[in-house]
Amino acid sequence: MKDINELNLPEDVKYTKDHEWAKADGDTVTIGINDYAQDQLGEIVFVEMPAVGDSFSAEDEFGSVESVKAVSEMYMPISGEIVAINEDLEDAPENVNEDCYQSGWIIKVKPSDLSEMDALMDKAAYLEMLKG
Amino acid sequence: MKTTPLHQWHLDAGANMADFGGYDMPLWYDTGVKNEHLAVLTSAGIFDTSHMACVTVEGPDAFSLLNFCFTRDLTPLAVGRCVYGAFLNEKGHCLDDAIVYKFSGTSFMVCVNAGMGGAISDHLNKHKKDRDVTITDLTDRIAKMDIQGIDSVRILSKLIQSPDTVFGKMPYFSFKGHFDPNHPEAGASKLKNGTPVLLSRSGYTGEFGFEIFIAPNAIVDLWKQVLAAGESFGITACGLGARDSLRAGAGLPLSHQDIGHFKFMNHPWDFALPYNSDKSGFTKDFLGAAALVPEKNDVYVFPFVGDSLRKVAAGENTGVFDENEQQIGHVLTCATDMGITWHEGKIVSINTSDLPDNIKIKGIACGFVMVSKHLEPGTKLMLKEGKRAISVTIVTDIRPDRTARKKITHFI
Repeated sequence: MKDINELNLPEDVKYTKDHEWAKADGDTVTIGINDYAQDQLGEIVFVEMPAVGDSFSAEDEFGSVESVKAVSEMYMPISGEIVAINEDLEDAPENVNEDCYQSGWIIKVKPSDLSEMDALMDKAAYLEMLKG
Repeated sequence: MKTTPLHQWHLDAGANMADFGGYDMPLWYDTGVKNEHLAVLTSAGIFDTSHMACVTVEGPDAFSLLNFCFTRDLTPLAVGRCVYGAFLNEKGHCLDDAIVYKFSGTSFMVCVNAGMGGAISDHLNKHKKDRDVTITDLTDRIAKMDIQGIDSVRILSKLIQSPDTVFGKMPYFSFKGHFDPNHPEAGASKLKNGTPVLLSRSGYTGEFGFEIFIAPNAIVDLWKQVLAAGESFGITACGLGARDSLRAGAGLPLSHQDIGHFKFMNHPWDFALPYNSDKSGFTKDFLGAAALVPEKNDVYVFPFVGDSLRKVAAGENTGVFDENEQQIGHVLTCATDMGITWHEGKIVSINTSDLPDNIKIKGIACGFVMVSKHLEPGTKLMLKEGKRAISVTIVTDIRPDRTARKKITHFI
């Protein structure tokens, strides 16, 4: 298991208390689970994703990740409609372990209120939370 | 939290650690649970099991006490052999499962789970009455590792004195030697450097292999020797994650989870009870036997396999539903055996011969359900936890073609 100072926590994404990350790019927000979450879960064997067109409110459960060891729910960082899911994960769920911010992204959302991003944590605040 | 002598090695290896029975133990290493699980099926894996506890039971009445407290009938147990069973209380509930080793007619050792050395010692003392027997809890005086997998004897042969003699006649559930240099049996199995070990042809993975009991101050050196001797075979250090998936796939219970505060019956582990040949009764009287009488509202435990490697969390909150969508119980264990897959309506494993070349083994969820009625193999059930639901099938066995019972000559 990684030490806190070994975690890959990019500066250009926002973090939730449930260990998702979110990154705005134009009018969509890409969402995944962060390095801490994938490290804790171990080898991921299945990612349950919502359907394109589904809508959720912030903090709604939108799917789950199953590892060899555990099953864990994922929660929406912001409100919005699913505009894309990472279909590659159906055959290669291990992408979440290997690169949770690039090939291991999980969903793209069209946010209903982009300002909800401001309520999420930056790297410094997230690290503070992890350190408790 | 307690640690084993290998704790620093686990940390240095970057293990993902977790509390298990009061010990800080490795869940998996950098290689990951999947590779660790598969290593045991295809080469060899090494497990630190020093958190497990041992109790010796010695004296003229040692047999009498153990045969009263243990579920298996020890009458036919020969010296140098060991046997798996359980300790029950008066209600027929399982305190712990265990292996009993017979050194002589008056000297036995009991190997129990982490944290249970004191509890089982107390239990035996409580029931010894006026028997002439000495019970000693060796919890912190013994270390242990398990080498499991088809290459384990080839690896150990490099490290043991006179391997031809030691491994020459070694059936499943037999043992040689002793970890205490002063014990009369200590010379029967020694490492090349002279360290005495108790070498037992057993383990809890369903695969061919050994458990090695050794003095705590010698285990780190032996662990490193085994890894070095096994390097060319691809030996892999394995954590408790792979141990859990292997034992579930082998159809073996996890104490306090699959067996515990409910009657020790109506489950797949009938072999742990002293049934007579036609199963009309027991071959002996023992503690808890009177409670093991079928009655209304009995619970049943069955093994299941899923349709894929998708699984649910185990526990009281995960319901088991029958074809009428009635909840009939809950999930005790749900793990993923990474070495099996469905093929033409049957489960096959990596060790199944004549597998088609194109078969891709991704793993299947498996485990045990506790339900309120008897179910036949082939029964379909749904396991539901929150929004998650998976379809599973009741089976008699989970991972086929396990190697544990094969003759040792097959592996030398």
